[in-house]
Amino acid sequence: MALLRPRLNDFYNLPFTQEEVDFAIPFLDEDLPLCVDPFLLWKSPSMQDNSLHTAITNSFNHLGYIFNKGQEKQAIEVLIKASECYEVGLGDSRKRVGKPFGEKLARNILLLYRDIPQINKSGFIHFEEIQLFVDNISKDRISDIACSFMKSFLIDYTIQLSKKYGIPLMKSKNISVYNYKTNSFDDEEVELPQNLENGAPIILVPKRWLRYIPWINYDDYFERYLPKKDKISDRIELLTYNRKNYDVVQAYIKIKEREHKDCKNDPLFEPIPVTSANRKFSIIKVLPTGKTENVDREYEDNACQLVASLVYPQLDFAKMQSRTESGILIRDLIFYNNRSYDFLKDIYDQYECKQIVMELKNVKALDGEHINQLNRYLNEQFGRFGIILARNAPTKQIFKNTIDLWSGQRKCILILSDDDLKMMCQLFKSRQRLPIEVIKKKFVEFTRYCPG
Amino acid sequence: MKEKDIELYEKLNAQLEGLYEEISILSKKSPNDAVNKFKLKFINQVLTDVSSILAEKYRPFKDFQSFSEDDLPTNADVTFMLSQYINCMEKLRADNIRCDYESWYWVVSGQITSIQTAPPKKIKEK
Repeated sequence: MALLRPRLNDFYNLPFTQEEVDFAIPFLDEDLPLCVDPFLLWKSPSMQDNSLHTAITNSFNHLGYIFNKGQEKQAIEVLIKASECYEVGLGDSRKRVGKPFGEKLARNILLLYRDIPQINKSGFIHFEEIQLFVDNISKDRISDIACSFMKSFLIDYTIQLSKKYGIPLMKSKNISVYNYKTNSFDDEEVELPQNLENGAPIILVPKRWLRYIPWINYDDYFERYLPKKDKISDRIELLTYNRKNYDVVQAYIKIKEREHKDCKNDPLFEPIPVTSANRKFSIIKVLPTGKTENVDREYEDNACQLVASLVYPQLDFAKMQSRTESGILIRDLIFYNNRSYDFLKDIYDQYECKQIVMELKNVKALDGEHINQLNRYLNEQFGRFGIILARNAPTKQIFKNTIDLWSGQRKCILILSDDDLKMMCQLFKSRQRLPIEVIKKKFVEFTRYCPG
Repeated sequence: MKEKDIELYEKLNAQLEGLYEEISILSKKSPNDAVNKFKLKFINQVLTDVSSILAEKYRPFKDFQSFSEDDLPTNADVTFMLSQYINCMEKLRADNIRCDYESWYWVVSGQITSIQTAPPKKIKEK
């Protein structure tokens, strides 16, 4: 069964959610849009994290040292190898595979150790500063370099957590691991989780190290700290300015260090607060049904953010997708079902529901065709359980249709209305019960009506 | 009623009225909010005990035993049901007490006892 945007645990049918584990659950086919920020390791209260930061910085500075000692080729080679760490699957790649940077860029980075006297003398404390001196250094490049230098640790971490959560480990050859003693990359054979479809090894990363953009970054420096920004016209000019005015960069770094308490890791999913949830429901409540003036789109956008937050953390949101059936554009919300709640386990066992599809319908009244559309879609990949999020409660006839569908094909289609959404918002606010229990309630009601 | 039932009745009636008081406060604030599982567990426990003392004759609804957690009963639902049970408990009491001079006493097996009680609410209200 092909899953939509599969993650490692979904592929292996492992029942844990993102909230429950310490690592960021990687996608199998694409990168997580986050990066390891070395600054989070530097500011961490954990000695282990601080030591890893020191090891990364030392490894990076060592390249500058040997570059200045005349071993240019070797330094460039190591830096190029360090510039891509595809096993962690972080960044912007749609296929989990990036490219290492070229020799010219590596040389430009290492030339900093020659051109800037302070760096020549003391090296970097935060190597992510290179973004402020060299063009074409993206946020995921910083992350990849950091991950490459501490890959040995990450492999141990991955093995430990894979054993804890039952993720299968397989022998992976030619994993390029940085050797801290010889300051070079060695190919090793290690046991790692793999994407079985293409055999690509997967390394897990603690979620406490992840941010969308590094704490020290070019845009932040340019927008918030650069004193004479009016006089600088383009990026290249700024990079040259920074090289010649290293004290300005140093002042920026000192400020960022002082503000370290504000530097927090970014959650992979952050539910909207209660006030926003209520606001979104208020918007939905007054929206007319139909498609005039794009009200359907407005309904879908608001419902997507609202429902994804209401059912979190029991259900991790996968994506909002659009599909066309019989010329009609249909929008669905897809959730991973990791059996984190008794009712979710029931639908997994009874209806083979690995992912929950929630179809959005901004219509005044559901008709038989709406039920059929979801019914046909359930054949393909989602198991035999689906939800229609509609504006009004279904008529008796439509509800009977869903019961008949169960009788004939053992498929369960639940229909949630604005009233149910209102109840979910109420529970989200009061915290007396879980909002997902409203869906469970509908499921129990549905099963009570099923014959036999 | 038997003598040992009187003591049980008084305990359960006090619990029932206590629950009603608490939940009706919540109900006034947010009638459509669900009652949490912790409260529901004890409400159901009291309702089950009360049902056994009321027996078939006095129970308010034949097809209601207790609240189902899965049905997400709201504060308003629970308040409504508790008030029904309170009324039925009062009906049971009113049928089993008698006035002797100016005081009211429980009746056990057709005989008036020395266990004093309040007058029926209907009379008190008049």
